[in-house]
Amino acid sequence: MNRNLFTTSINKGFTFGIVMIFLVLIDFEVMAATMLSKLLGVNVVRGALPEVRFMIIFLVLYGLFVGWFASSDQEKPAKKLFQALIAGLTVAVVVGLFDIALNQLITTGTDVRAYLAALGPASIKLFLLEKGALGSLLHLGLFTGASLLGSVLKILLKSDPMSHFLKGISTVYRDLRAKTQAITPNWIKEYGKYLLFLLIGLSAFFLPRMWGSYNNYVLGLVGLYVILGIGLNIIVELSGQLMLGFAAFFAMGAYSMALLNAPLPHGIMLGFWPALAIGVLMAVLAAVLLGLPVMGMRGDYLAIVTLGFGEIIRILLKSDLLTDFTGGPRGIQDIKGPTLFGQPFSSDIDYTYIILVFMILSIFIYKRLERSRTGRAWMAVKEDTKVAEATGVNIKNSKLLALCLGAAFAGLAGGIFAARNQFTGPNDHQLMVSMNILSILIVGGINSVPGIILGAFTLKGLPEILREIENYRLLVFGGLLVFMMISRPEGLWPATRPNIEKDEGNRQKAESPPGKGGQHD
Amino acid sequence: MTDTIIQIKNVCKIFGGLIAVNQVNIDVPEKYIYSIIGPNGAGKTTLFNCITGFYIPEKGEILFYGDPIQGLSTNLVAWLGLSRTYQNIRLFTNLTAVENILIGLHPNLKSSWFDAIVHTRSFIKEESGSVKEALRLLDYVGLKGYGDFLAKNLPYGLQRRLEIGRALANQPKVLLLDEPTAGMNLHETAEATHFIKRLRDELGITIILIEHDMKVVMGISDRISVLDYGMKIAEGNAAEIQANPRVIEAYLGPGGAALSEKYKKQRQSYAQSHRS
Repeated sequence: MNRNLFTTSINKGFTFGIVMIFLVLIDFEVMAATMLSKLLGVNVVRGALPEVRFMIIFLVLYGLFVGWFASSDQEKPAKKLFQALIAGLTVAVVVGLFDIALNQLITTGTDVRAYLAALGPASIKLFLLEKGALGSLLHLGLFTGASLLGSVLKILLKSDPMSHFLKGISTVYRDLRAKTQAITPNWIKEYGKYLLFLLIGLSAFFLPRMWGSYNNYVLGLVGLYVILGIGLNIIVELSGQLMLGFAAFFAMGAYSMALLNAPLPHGIMLGFWPALAIGVLMAVLAAVLLGLPVMGMRGDYLAIVTLGFGEIIRILLKSDLLTDFTGGPRGIQDIKGPTLFGQPFSSDIDYTYIILVFMILSIFIYKRLERSRTGRAWMAVKEDTKVAEATGVNIKNSKLLALCLGAAFAGLAGGIFAARNQFTGPNDHQLMVSMNILSILIVGGINSVPGIILGAFTLKGLPEILREIENYRLLVFGGLLVFMMISRPEGLWPATRPNIEKDEGNRQKAESPPGKGGQHD
Repeated sequence: MTDTIIQIKNVCKIFGGLIAVNQVNIDVPEKYIYSIIGPNGAGKTTLFNCITGFYIPEKGEILFYGDPIQGLSTNLVAWLGLSRTYQNIRLFTNLTAVENILIGLHPNLKSSWFDAIVHTRSFIKEESGSVKEALRLLDYVGLKGYGDFLAKNLPYGLQRRLEIGRALANQPKVLLLDEPTAGMNLHETAEATHFIKRLRDELGITIILIEHDMKVVMGISDRISVLDYGMKIAEGNAAEIQANPRVIEAYLGPGGAALSEKYKKQRQSYAQSHRS
C-alpha cells in the first residue's frame, strides 16, 4: 500500500480524534446529543441528559464526517475506502485511549469537576454509552464503521451517474426557466419587480402580527444588527479602516436615548424621536472626535486605537466618576418608547415595524452611497490609499466621512435598542458587540447587503432561537470563522461589482431604436 | 519656443545618507514629450515622486506654470493637472475597469454624499455624464468591451492602458509615464509608442517619460535628460544624447565610450563584409 496515503490518513484521523477529545472535555457532545434529540422530536428537560441512542447518532455523524473528509477526491474508490478505514481506526484508537482514562476516573470516583468545570460523571457515562470500559470498544466499531460509510457515501454521491443525474436536474431547471421566461407576458417582466416588492412589503406588514412576541424580539434584534452591520461595512469594508470599537458609537446612541428619555437620573423626557436624532448626532460627534486624531493611522494601529476607544467609553459609562450622570454600572431603566398618533407604540411587534423601516432606509442609503462618487472614492482609498490620493481623492475627508456615516447608523441602532429593551447599561456595549458585528460582515459577505442580512441571521438570529448552544456560542463562532476563512473567504453571499458598461450599452440600445433590439438580451 | 510648463529648480531629495536626487534642473516646455533616462537607481522615479507630491524635496523648487507645487499634497497636485502612472502597475485591482476610470474622474466632479443619497437632479446629470465620459475614455485607450472586467483579471498590456486611461480621466495637462512599455514585446512596444505620440498630438498633453527602451526614447522624445547617481549628466535631443560620452560611460562604465566605438566599428565592418 501507498505509504503516503497511510500517513496522511493517520494524520487526519489523529486530528479528528484530538478534536473529539476536546469536544468531550467541554461537554459539547452532550449538548449536541440534546439538540439532535430535540430535532428528532424527543424533548429533553433542561438539566437532564438525552437518551443513549442520540449520543450514538452524534458519534455516527461525526464518523461520517471523518470518512467524508478523509477520502480524498482524486483517489480511486478502493483507496478512498482505505483512507477512511485508517482515519476511522485512528480516531477510534485515540478516543479509545481517552475512554479508558475517563473510565478509570469514574471507577476510582475522582471528582472530575474539580479540574474540568463542564465534565460530570453522568455525562462521561453517557459518552461511554452507559457501558463503562466496554464503551471504548463500541466507539471503535462506531467510528470505523461510520467512517467507512462516509467514504461510501462520498463515492456514491460523487460518482459519474450521480453527477450526471444532478447535471440533468440543472439542465431541466434551466430549460424550464427559459420556457417560462418565453411565455411570460411582457407586463410581468416589466412590473414583476414591483410586484415582488409589494409582496415583500405586505408580508413584512402582516407577518409580525402573526408571530409571537419572542419571534418579533429576535427579528428586531436581527434588524438592528443589519443596521449596525451596514454602518460598520461603510467604515471597514468600503473605506478600509479596521475599526474594533464600533460598540462605542452604539453606546452613544443608546445612552443619548436613555439620558434624554427616562425618568432617572435626569428626567428630561424629551420624547423618543428627538432623543433618537440627538443620539445619531452624538455618535457622529464621537466619530469626529475619534477620527481627527487617528486619520493618519491604518491597519493594526488603527485597530488598536479604536479598540481602546470602545473600551474607554464603556468604562467611563461604568465609572464611579460619572455615576450621577450615567447611572453607573446599574444602567438606566424605564426608557420610554415612542408614541404615534397619541398611541403608545412600544410592544415588540411595534418595534419590529420601526426597525424594519429604519433597516430598509439604511439599506437604501447604503446602496445609493455605494454607487456614487463618494462610494467609489472610499473603495479606491481601501484598495490603495496612496494611489487614490494621487488620483485626486482627498483621503482625510473621505475617511472621516465614512467614519461619521458609519457611526450615524450605529447611533440610530443604539437609540432604538435602548428604547426597545427599556434599559441600557455598560454591559450592553462590551467589546463582544463590536466583534459580533465584524463577524457578521466576515461570515455574511463583504460589501453585500444580502450577505449582511444572512450574516445577521446566522450569528444573531440562530443563537437566539437555539438557546441550547448558548454556552458554546464563542466556540461555534470561532469554528465558523475559521471554516469560512478556509472554504468561503468571500462570505456566504459575496458581493459583485456592477456591470456599468453593459448596463449603459443596454440603456442606449433601449433608447435609440424603438422597434428592434430593446426587449432582447 | 513655447512656454515652460514644468520647471525643476535645484531639486534635492535625500534619504538618510543617500542623495537620491542631487541638484537637478529641468525645464519641460509645453506639449513636449520629455524623456528622463538613466541606469537603474539613478533617481528617475524619485524625481517623479517629488513632482507628484509623494515626496517633499529637501531643497529646490518645482514650478508648474511658474507657481511652486513642491510640498502640496498629492490630491491637490492631481487636481492641478499632473497625473501619473506607476512603474509597477497600481490599479484598484478589485474594482472594474470602468470604475477605475470613474475614480480618475473624481477631482473634476462635484456631487457630495448628500446628493448621492437623495439623488438630486445635478447628481443624476453628473453621474450619467461621468459614466459616458468613462466609457469614451475606455474606448480611447482601446479597452472597449473590457469595461466590466475586474482590473486584476485584465491582461498585462491592457492593465498598462487602463492605468493611462485612469490618468487621462483626471484631464491632466502633464502626464508622467513611468516605464510604460516595461515587459512588453516588440509589437506591443511599437503600439504603445504610437499611442503615447497620439496622446500628445491629439490631446495636447505634455508628457514626461521614464523609459529604458532606447528605441522608444530615441523615437518619440523631443528632448531627453540623463540622470546618473541623482545628478543630471546630460540634456539634449536624441542625436546629442547618443553622441554624449558621459552618457555612454554612465551606461557602460568607465572606458565605455571607447568600447562602444570599438563595437560600432566592428559592427560596421561586419555589415560591410556581409554586403560584399
